[in-house]
Amino acid sequence: MSRPIPNRHHLLAPLLACALLAGCGRPPPPPVEVTVAPIPVDAEVIEQPSGKPGAMLVETEPGDIATVNPLIAEDQSSSGVISRFIEGLVTLHPDTGEIIPNLAKSWEISEDGLQYTFHLRRGVCWSDGHPFTADDVVFTWRDAFYTKELDPQTGQPAIDPETGAPKLRYPSRPAYIQLIEGQEVKVEKLDDLTVRFTLPQLYAPFLLFGGGEEILPAHVLGPAAKDGTLLDQWSINTAINHPEQLVGTGPFLLESYRPGERMVFRRNPNYWRVDRDGHRLPYIERIVTSIVGDSAASNIAFARGLTDIEGIQPDNVTWISRAADKFDFTIHDLGPSTSTSFVWFNLRPGNDPDGKPFIAPHKLAWFQDVRFRQAVSYGVNREGIVQGVFGGRASPLHGYVSAKNAKWLNLDVRRYPFDPAKARALLAEAGFKTRADGRLVDAAGNPVEFSLMTNNNSNLRTEMATVFAENMAALGIRVELQFIDFNTLIRRTSESFNYEASLLGLGGGAPDPYASKDILMSNGRLHMWNPQQAKPATEWEARIDELMREIGREFDETKRKAAFAEVQAIMAEQQPLVFLVTGNEYVGIRNRWQNVQPTKLGGITWNLDALWAELN
Amino acid sequence: MIAFILRRLLTLVPLLLAVTLLVFVLMTLAPGDFLTPIKMQRDVPAGLIEQLENDFGLNQPWYVQYARWLGNVVQLDFGYSWSFKVPVVDLIGQRLFATFLLSLFSMLLAWLVAVPLGVLAAIYKDSIFDRISSFLAYAALSVPEFFLALLAVYLAARTGWFPLGGATSIEHDFLPLGAQIVDRAYHLVLPVIVLGIGGVAGLMRVMRANFLDAIRADYVQTARAKGVPEGWVMFKHVLRNAINPLISSLGFAFSGLLSGSLVVEIVMNYPGLGNLIYQAFLREDQFVVLASILLSCVMLVIGNLLADLCLAWSDPRIRLENQDS
Repeated sequence: MSRPIPNRHHLLAPLLACALLAGCGRPPPPPVEVTVAPIPVDAEVIEQPSGKPGAMLVETEPGDIATVNPLIAEDQSSSGVISRFIEGLVTLHPDTGEIIPNLAKSWEISEDGLQYTFHLRRGVCWSDGHPFTADDVVFTWRDAFYTKELDPQTGQPAIDPETGAPKLRYPSRPAYIQLIEGQEVKVEKLDDLTVRFTLPQLYAPFLLFGGGEEILPAHVLGPAAKDGTLLDQWSINTAINHPEQLVGTGPFLLESYRPGERMVFRRNPNYWRVDRDGHRLPYIERIVTSIVGDSAASNIAFARGLTDIEGIQPDNVTWISRAADKFDFTIHDLGPSTSTSFVWFNLRPGNDPDGKPFIAPHKLAWFQDVRFRQAVSYGVNREGIVQGVFGGRASPLHGYVSAKNAKWLNLDVRRYPFDPAKARALLAEAGFKTRADGRLVDAAGNPVEFSLMTNNNSNLRTEMATVFAENMAALGIRVELQFIDFNTLIRRTSESFNYEASLLGLGGGAPDPYASKDILMSNGRLHMWNPQQAKPATEWEARIDELMREIGREFDETKRKAAFAEVQAIMAEQQPLVFLVTGNEYVGIRNRWQNVQPTKLGGITWNLDALWAELN
Repeated sequence: MIAFILRRLLTLVPLLLAVTLLVFVLMTLAPGDFLTPIKMQRDVPAGLIEQLENDFGLNQPWYVQYARWLGNVVQLDFGYSWSFKVPVVDLIGQRLFATFLLSLFSMLLAWLVAVPLGVLAAIYKDSIFDRISSFLAYAALSVPEFFLALLAVYLAARTGWFPLGGATSIEHDFLPLGAQIVDRAYHLVLPVIVLGIGGVAGLMRVMRANFLDAIRADYVQTARAKGVPEGWVMFKHVLRNAINPLISSLGFAFSGLLSGSLVVEIVMNYPGLGNLIYQAFLREDQFVVLASILLSCVMLVIGNLLADLCLAWSDPRIRLENQDS
C-alpha cells in the first residue's frame, strides 16, 4: 500500500549525535488481527459520489486529551477523539438539525409518549468483529449508568447520607444527565435488535438526549463494570499501551497515541456505512493528529501547508487566506457560530453572610429597572464590535438563539439597533438626568457608574468590554473595567455574588431548547444574573420557568417552538442578558480532498468517512 | 562518607514537608479549584459536581486534604491525576524521557562549547577573540530564556528550516528506526540550543576566570621555569586545577535535569514534563502539582549532594566529614 506523506519543504537533517539517541524510537504498532464481518444488511448508503480509498489526512489538535473514556471525558479534545469511535443510536442531520437514524435504523414512540422503541441496524459489528446488539445498549444504561454502589456490609445499595438517594457506582456526567428528575429510565431488550426505553415521566428531549447517548461495547467493558473498575478503563494508559482495546462502531479507531505529541487513527474495517458502489467507508486510511499548544499554533501549521484541515479563528482568516494559492486550500465561511457573548447586571437581591448587600441598593434599583437594561442595549454598537474587534468576521447577536440554530430561532423579537438617542430617552423616562458635565445621574443625584468584569485570558472579550465601556461613556455612564482571572470571576458570579456587571460567553450546547434549562430557569446553576433562586424573583422569570417546563414535556414540535419563541421574546424584552455578537466560523481544507460539503451545523467533518483524495 | 550522605538525605524530610505544605496552602488560597471550569458548562448536572467534590475531598478543609495526601505519600501512593484519571506516577513517567533527553543534550552542549571557549579566552586574554566572546556571553546571559525560545519559534515559522515544536514529526511512526532517531534529533536542535545557550555563556565566564586564576599560580611559574612546554603547562597543570569548581556544578546541573526546561518546553511546545506540570498548575490538578514539586525538591537535594561528592572526589584537599561538622 502506498502511503502519501504530507509535503514538507525541508529534509530531515542529521544534526546531532544519533548514536546517543538510540532506543528512543519505537517500531510502528503491530497490525492487529481483526475479523472483518460482512457488510451489514442494514448498512447506510451515502448519497455522495464514490471515491478512492487509501489517503492519509493530517490535522492538528490544540490541547492534549485527558482520557478516552466517554464516561469521564470533560474537555473538547477528549470528546472529539471519543466521538470518532463511539456513537449513539441517533444523530442530527448536518443541514436541517432534525434527528436522524444512526446505530438505530428507526424508532417508535408510544401514544402516551413514555415508551421509545429503537430498532438497531441488522449486521452492524464492533470494530473487533463482535456483533453490535441490544445487549450493548442495555449494558451502557443499566450497568454503566445506573448501577448502584453496594454497601459492603449489608449488600444493599449504599445511601448517600446527605441526599438520601442511592449512590451511583459509577458517577459520571451521562449517568446524571440520564436521570429524569432523579428517576431512572427503564431499559429492556425485546430481542437482539430491539430495545425499549420506558420513561418515568414525560420528557420531550429524550429522543435527542437519550437516543444520542454514546453506546459502550458490553463484551469489552463488561468485566470492568462488574469488578468496579469501569471508570479506570480506557485511560490514556490504554491509549498508549493497548489502543486495540478501544473498540467502537465509529469510522476511525485510535491506532497509537503519544502524550503531548500525536494520535494516529486508522479506518474501522467494520464500519457500517457504504458508498453507492457498495464499498465500505471510510475512504481515509489513516488520520494523523498532531497535538499542538494552542489554536494559534494550530492555525499556523495549516497556513504553512502542514495540515489538511483546520478550524480557523475569525481574526486569523485574513492572513491565512494569503497562503491559499501556495498551499492549494480553500477557506469556507460557515456563518455565525453557536457561541454567544453577553453583558449582564447582577440582579441578586439580599445580603451576603456579613450582612452587607451584594450590590449597593441604589445600583440594584437601576439594574432592576428594565428601562435601564434596554437603554444599555440600545447604547451598544454591535456593528462597531463586529468591525472593530472581529475585523468584520462576526455577526451581531440580537437574542438568545444564534442565527446558526435556524430551527429554533425566533426572528420576531424586540431588537436593539445602535440608537443612543433612544437610549437617552429611555433613561430620562426612568428618572435619570444628564448633568452639565455630561455624566448621567439618577433621581437621587448618584452618578451612574458600575464595574464590568471579564476574564483576562480572552483577548476578544477584553476588547469587547473596552468597546462596551466606550459606548456607555457616550451615554454618560462610567464603566470601570476589571480584567481578572477566570476562576476568580466564576467564584464572584456564582458563589460570592460580589460584582456589579460581567461580560462572558457561552458555548453552543445541544441544539434543543431544553439544553438551556440551567441558564434560563430561575433555579438554574447558570442563570447568570441571579442563579439558583428558591422561587422566581420576577413575574417574567416565572413565565420563562413555566414555558421551559412545557418545552420539557411537550411533544408537539410546533408547540415547543411556540413556547421557545415566547421565551426568546421575553428575554429580548427584559434584557437580563445584553447580547453582543457571535464570531463567524471558518474552516480551511486543502483542495485535494473530494466530497467536501460544508454545512452550517456539521461543519466540514460531518462526512469525514466520505472524504477522499487521490494518492500521489 | 556514608554518614554524611545519610545526614544530607535526612534533611530532605523537613524540607519536603515545608515545601509541600506551602504549595498546598497557596493552592487553597488561589481562587477556584479543579472543578471551577466544569461548573460553567451547561450540561453538567449539579449532582455530579457535588459527587466529584466529595470524591476529590475538595469540600474538606485544606489541612484534612493535606493530611490525607501525606498519609498516602508515606505509603508511596502519589495519588491520581484528576484530569487524566491515571496514577500521577504513570503520567510523570510518560514525560520523563523527553525532558531528560532535552536537558541532557543542552548540558552536553553547554560543556562541550563552554570549556574550550573559556580556555581559549583565558589563554588569549584581551585579544579580539576574548572581547568578542565576552560580549557574546554577556549578551546571551542577559537575554531571557523565554524570549530566546520565542525567537527560535519565529525563526522556525519564517524559514521552515526547523519544526514548529513537538518532539517527533507526523510521519515518525512510519519511519524506519534510523530515520526515527534522526527525526528525534532534528526536533531537539532548537530547544537544545535555546536551553543550552545560557549555560554556555555562564560556564564560559566561570571557566575563563578560573583559568586566569590558575595561570597566575606559583606552580605554573615553577613549571615554566623548569622548561615544561607551554601546551603541557596549560593542559596538564592549569586546566586540571581550573576545572575543579566546574565539576561541582555538574551536581547542580543534575538538580535541574527534570525541572530546568519548563519555560523552553512551554514556549516551544515540547511534550515533556514541564509542559505537563504547567498544564496541571493551570487546571489545579492538585496531586500532579504536588508530585512534581516533590520531584524537583528531591532532585535539588540530590544534586547538591552530588556536587559535594564530586568536589571531594576531584579535590583530595576536601574532607566532607570535617566540613559538615
